[in-house]
Amino acid sequence: MPLFDCGSFNIEVDEDGFMQDTGAWNQEIAGALANAEGVAEMTENHWKIVNYLREYYLKFGIAPMVRKLCKETGFSLKEIYTMFPSGPAKGACKVAGLAKPTGCV
Amino acid sequence: MAAKRITPDDISRPGGQLVELDPAQFRPLPSPYDKLELEPKIRCLTREQMDRFECGLDGVSAVMLPRPESENDKRAMLEKFLAGLKRLFNGHDNWTFLQPLLLTMEYCSQCQTCSGACRIFEESGEIEIYRPGYRSGILRRLYKKYVKSGGKILSRLSGNDIDLTWNLLARLLELSYRCTICRRCAQACPIGVDNGLVTREIRKIFSQELGIAPKQLHELGTVQHLRKGSSTGMTPPGFLDNIEFMEDEIREKTGLDFKWPIDKAGADILLVHNAGEYLAWPENPEAFAIILEAAGINYTLSSELSGYDGVNYGVWYDDMQLARVAVRHAGIAKKLGVKKIVIGECGHSHKSLTVIADRILTGDLNVPRESSLTFLNEIVKSGRLRLDPLRNADMQVTLHDPCNMVRLMGIVKPQREIIKAVCPNFREMMPNGVENFCCGGGGGFAIMPNLNFPDWRISVAGRAKLRQVLDVFQDIISSEHKKFLCAPCSNCKGQIRDLFSAYGVFERCNILYGGLAELIVNAMTDIKNPFQQWEWR
Repeated sequence: MPLFDCGSFNIEVDEDGFMQDTGAWNQEIAGALANAEGVAEMTENHWKIVNYLREYYLKFGIAPMVRKLCKETGFSLKEIYTMFPSGPAKGACKVAGLAKPTGCV
Repeated sequence: MAAKRITPDDISRPGGQLVELDPAQFRPLPSPYDKLELEPKIRCLTREQMDRFECGLDGVSAVMLPRPESENDKRAMLEKFLAGLKRLFNGHDNWTFLQPLLLTMEYCSQCQTCSGACRIFEESGEIEIYRPGYRSGILRRLYKKYVKSGGKILSRLSGNDIDLTWNLLARLLELSYRCTICRRCAQACPIGVDNGLVTREIRKIFSQELGIAPKQLHELGTVQHLRKGSSTGMTPPGFLDNIEFMEDEIREKTGLDFKWPIDKAGADILLVHNAGEYLAWPENPEAFAIILEAAGINYTLSSELSGYDGVNYGVWYDDMQLARVAVRHAGIAKKLGVKKIVIGECGHSHKSLTVIADRILTGDLNVPRESSLTFLNEIVKSGRLRLDPLRNADMQVTLHDPCNMVRLMGIVKPQREIIKAVCPNFREMMPNGVENFCCGGGGGFAIMPNLNFPDWRISVAGRAKLRQVLDVFQDIISSEHKKFLCAPCSNCKGQIRDLFSAYGVFERCNILYGGLAELIVNAMTDIKNPFQQWEWR
């Protein structure tokens, strides 16, 4: 299993860099993952998105619909792409420690 | 000097890749993608990935099969494969598909008509290993040598010998994931040989006998579908949360005070969408809801485990999983007491639940099933919706034919009648109908994002579709004209999205894609604002 370097420790990730043990997620890991996703700095707005994704995921076991993410956080899809260059699924969800999306999505 | 042509003997040989992929050899695309530098790259695997995963076919890994640790592991897998090969040709173990498989093994005359029908073979620049007959030729030699009595001697005498080695096994596994099972080859064959079925049956040996299948099809696919309720991982509470959100969206978009009928016992119809629609293209189930409400249809959705996800990935790789999912779907319909199941815009759901499940569902489990294409067409023809096609007049529309609905089931006219009723500017791709080209995401490909396989899926498997779409709009290819590709299948939409993204088709040519029901709603005069949003999704 590939390892991802968080600075002082490593975490296991899949081939696309998604966390294997999503329960082990914390803010430090999020920061390191964000860096690898081309996010220079995690601002308050970044955390708003990541925290919403995380809360939703813990409640329902899946990422929310993208449109719901936009509506609940107040950011347009374009703004999310500006904040997380690889987009809501491959970028923001990865930083929030969610599993990689599966199925016909 | 031309490279030596690959023969069936080569698949057994030790060493590295059988072929190197070279985009310069692929069939060129029309404008504006007629320059090689605009071609997306097929990434090479890293040294570390090559050390971990088998990639000795063409340098691509779709399955991510780990390299075995010992010779003993290899031997054990070869033995399992051989046992599975024998079972594949035994009526007790393979009652589902034995007859067409036997016909394919015994009667192919190698006329190669199928090669000209196979888009992957043609578009790749005729790479020998992608020839439909190459794959089935390997299985045929294995069958004749290891399954038929006296095969070992006869194979040698006939010059069609083959050695079942680890290299053959690892390459054959990958080769069974280089065909989208679109079955154009089967349609072209003058005597009905079905090389698409061969692909599927090879995958089946690996899954049922060796427990090897792409993670997205099995562990995260059918297993998750049966346990959590959906291959997307959506649980029943997650489904209901999405429904609530979409009800709000419908209210905002249309002003209708709308509530979805859920688990309504005694409804006439159980409508089953591919759950990917709710997450990636919610406007499609929303459009169905608006149409069915306006037409006064007594229907329901199900929030039961698996009842809100019509997919059945077993259709691509495993009979057991296929049967488990089909029986689950039928059981939910039976419990609700509906008169029929209507299947949303999802091609492989059509194939699994209407066609193959007919061999699995017995007695009162055999609830009638209908395609949403015929179902929607009846509604449109009934006059119950007030439609103004001019509301779709600002764009040119073309139609993609999903292989499972169109070639396999012969549903050709209903979707065209609908489009002609709601879109004044419709043009056909060539060829179309049962002669269509696959989107390139069939056979499970659209949902398998492993390593560099998506690159291959875009550049090789999706190439014919991209060419068709560019060709049909070639006279208005610049971005000032709005163009729409209607693809009434979730899996095809996923592939088209990735294909268009890789080539920047929306930005460069202003071609958007989407489902069929949305076009109907966009033409409904009772809905004040346009339903269709001209934005990338």
